[in-house]
Amino acid sequence: MKNRLEELRSQRGWTQQELADQVEVSRQTIISLENGRYNPSILLAFRLSRLFEMPIEDLFLYSPEEENHE
Amino acid sequence: MSNYSQWVQQKLRLGWAFLAAGVIVAAAGAWIGSEFAYLPYNFRIITGLGILLAGVGFSFLVRYWHARKNGAEARRVSAAERDERMLLIRARAGNRAFWVSLGLTYTGLMWASFAANGSLPELSGDTLWFFLAGAVLIPFIVYIASIVRDQNRL
Repeated sequence: MKNRLEELRSQRGWTQQELADQVEVSRQTIISLENGRYNPSILLAFRLSRLFEMPIEDLFLYSPEEENHE
Repeated sequence: MSNYSQWVQQKLRLGWAFLAAGVIVAAAGAWIGSEFAYLPYNFRIITGLGILLAGVGFSFLVRYWHARKNGAEARRVSAAERDERMLLIRARAGNRAFWVSLGLTYTGLMWASFAANGSLPELSGDTLWFFLAGAVLIPFIVYIASIVRDQNRL
């Protein structure tokens, strides 16, 4: 799933490790999320949504076509 | 002391406990083996168990030692341990290893059944040992390979 994590993280000047520390996951998970290889759990999605102060739908960009390819 | 540091200290205590238990069990196995060599038992299995326990303890110490006095590192280690992506990768690897293990066990069971009625040759002691060793080792290899593969893919 596409998302705006990298863009939002860069805007705030955070490193991947700093973002990982704030939402209590590993740096590898942030890398995978940013590359769109890994879809987060609903709990992690909410943690990210609260951290960036925006709705989940604005953070993660859902497309039905993509779901068919998974 | 933060919750993360306490968690690391708890893991380190567990590591020391395993290491101590392992050393005691291994030493006991070696001592019994030398003192009671005339008994028809192979006490190396006790020594082997001790080495296994000590190995588990040592791996805990190696894993958590560097985080014992560093709160930020303790938090990082704790997060890595409970990381949801890593948990998913381990669960998938475990699932694959389980099916491989099931397949091997079922194959062995079928072989034994067919061998009992003469359709297949009986497994000799050595062959049986290698088969059982494979039944332990192959699922473990599948587990590790699956983790490596999914770490690159997910």
